[in-house]
Amino acid sequence: MSVAAGPERPQVVSHVQQALNYTVFDCKWVPRSARLLCLGSAARGTGLIQLYELHGARLELLREIEKPKPIKCGTFGATSLQQRYLATGDFDGNLNVWNLEAPEIPVYSVKGHKEIINSIDGVGGLGIGEGAPEIVTGSRDGTVKVWDPRQNDTPVANMEPVQGESKRDCWTVAFGNAYNQEERVVCAGYDNGDIKLFDLKTMSLRWETNIKNGVCSVEFDRKDINMNKLVATSLEGKFHVFDMRTQHPTKGFASVSEKAQKSTIWQVRHLPQNRDIFMTSGGSGSLHLWKYEYPAQRLKKDSEGSEMGVAGSVSLLQNVTLSTQPISSLDWSPDKKGLCVCGAFDQTVRVLIVTKLNNI
Amino acid sequence: MPVWLREHSWRQTLGAVYLSLPLRGARATPANIFCSEQYLKVSIPPFLFEAILYAPIDDTNSTAKIGNGNIFFTLYKKEPAMWDSLTLANAGKEKLQYLRENAVLKAQEKAKEETEAKKIAKQEHKKCALEATMKLEEAQRKRIEDLKEKERQKVAKELEFWKNQQKDADKYKSVQKKGELHQEKEPLKERKNETMSKTRIPNEGTSKIRLKSTKGCHGSSSIFSQNLKEERLPAPRAAATIEVTFTPRVFPTALRESRVAEEEEWLHKQAEARRIINSDLSELEDLKEEEKNPDWLKDKGNKMFAMGNYLGAVNAYNLAVRLNNKLPLLYLNRAACHLKLRNLHKAIEDSSKALELLTPPVPDNKNARVKAHVRRGTAFCQLELYAEGLQDYEAALKIDPGNINIEKDAEKIRHLIQETMQSS
Repeated sequence: MSVAAGPERPQVVSHVQQALNYTVFDCKWVPRSARLLCLGSAARGTGLIQLYELHGARLELLREIEKPKPIKCGTFGATSLQQRYLATGDFDGNLNVWNLEAPEIPVYSVKGHKEIINSIDGVGGLGIGEGAPEIVTGSRDGTVKVWDPRQNDTPVANMEPVQGESKRDCWTVAFGNAYNQEERVVCAGYDNGDIKLFDLKTMSLRWETNIKNGVCSVEFDRKDINMNKLVATSLEGKFHVFDMRTQHPTKGFASVSEKAQKSTIWQVRHLPQNRDIFMTSGGSGSLHLWKYEYPAQRLKKDSEGSEMGVAGSVSLLQNVTLSTQPISSLDWSPDKKGLCVCGAFDQTVRVLIVTKLNNI
Repeated sequence: MPVWLREHSWRQTLGAVYLSLPLRGARATPANIFCSEQYLKVSIPPFLFEAILYAPIDDTNSTAKIGNGNIFFTLYKKEPAMWDSLTLANAGKEKLQYLRENAVLKAQEKAKEETEAKKIAKQEHKKCALEATMKLEEAQRKRIEDLKEKERQKVAKELEFWKNQQKDADKYKSVQKKGELHQEKEPLKERKNETMSKTRIPNEGTSKIRLKSTKGCHGSSSIFSQNLKEERLPAPRAAATIEVTFTPRVFPTALRESRVAEEEEWLHKQAEARRIINSDLSELEDLKEEEKNPDWLKDKGNKMFAMGNYLGAVNAYNLAVRLNNKLPLLYLNRAACHLKLRNLHKAIEDSSKALELLTPPVPDNKNARVKAHVRRGTAFCQLELYAEGLQDYEAALKIDPGNINIEKDAEKIRHLIQETMQSS
């Protein structure tokens, strides 16, 4: 694991820190703006959405919206740039899509799951990718469901355990491979270490593997291209980077894994402006910035002549410890390179700036 | 007896005495020379030269040069005066001795003082060095902090600039949005109100046209592009379900939940049990090879039990136990046989022994433990010890909560207990 030279390394500068009086579970930038959203749960058991704007060295609260159930996760992925509707999943299993200008009544609402929605992702909106806008939710009841905001009440795809099988919590979901109108893939990570890749065009399970420890977060490096890389992070400080360009019939995808932090790696997020740089956030309150290097040859033939991928290597660019509590959510701003927001369990949300990313 | 060196020659000036001492072939080192304020000694065994000087000299500055078989002393006088002779003339033995001792003492004291002074000087130097390094480090740290501050400020400035850009873009967009909304309404209205009188539309049309013209091509192209986009969006996917199975494990819990330690212990115990061979071979010599294998005997016993030959099964199990008394399944099966033969006490004994061997309790030996509890419970009940029987049934139910038969039997026993309590 090599480290870049001293003065040229990207620095993580903490720009603003905001103390909150509730537990923040997710934080997201509002696309095309200097505003960010914090989603969480207030002490009295209700859900909170707060909209902040970045003003110089502080965050100014623009709006606070309270909802009956605590909110676990949210995404802007499936809405257009003009509308910028927020899709949220809450502790009760409800999926709601809100118009932040008129948040009293959701634009779309469905009781999608019987238990908490742990993770949500959207694709087809924001001018990224092609095809219908869709939202995927993964829940503790073991199912992963894909919703289309134009179709009420029933999901367009449902990945559920076989009848009679004991269920495992689904902890994370991610969309990928949405490079044309038909292709789309959903990757789901479960608490027993299973990672499953579902192909929505053929409605089948395309690949599965088990990485032994519960999977906390999965993300493709880009949603809107032919699947290139997938990073999966897990408990006990390990993460795996899979090369998704070549699938071997039996061995699946090639991967490289790294054990970086001593505690759970809660989130991984790729830099929107450079798909080989990603940041992982850990249970010890630290952030690690990584760069993936491709191998000299991404393909090789095995003994029977079938192709298999070759995984590259990962190097640590920078690490910084910001808090004593886990940093549970992380989001890069799609508009300004290096600007990111992270929310930690010490009830603070921090805006960070990562410098010198242009030289990488 | 030392050999005295007496052939010295000397001359003097007002401030110094120059003494030359030939060494007669002996080699001298600085260690051989001893000099104090009024006493000078050169000792190169077996040669010896000694002089009580006429007047005190400054022994720290005086020098001795060794070379050419000669020592050349340059002694600086403490008081500049001409000496009558090099040494004190009438130096009595006692005075000599006293002077000698004095000289030695003085030398020692001087040495001590010197070491003290050296120590103090060293400490001072160390302190100095430490302070210097601390200053250097401070400077370094400050430099880094300054760099970081500069970065931060630069970045903050950039951010402000970008944010202002965003604000402007937003304002532009919000105005544009209003324009678009108007324009969207227009074609919709046109489509809907085709039947309506044409007079109304041109009026609205004119006011909107003005807006349209100001926004220009950009506005109109956006409606068209949006319409096109809506048409290009595919219909919602046909709903389908994908069935999912999860990775099976020997121990069906995730790594973090597994009780690996206990399960390892259980497996280890089983392995140990297999290896025991009771070496009571005297009686067993006339048995066939296969009859010495506890597993084969267990199978035999099972078959006989299935056919109803309970006594034969018990015999088979007995032999197996003699060969290997650590296999819990043997006791378990023998208990079943005893139940059928109504040897209830023996059945209880065997089930208890089986349960003992089935520790630690892990999911692997769940079934065996349930059976053991049920058999023991049945035996108790048949002995009319219903309370103990119920205990065993409840234990079995705790291990295997979903089993309906055990539930029913437990219920029956509870009824029986109530009846007996009522009747007595």
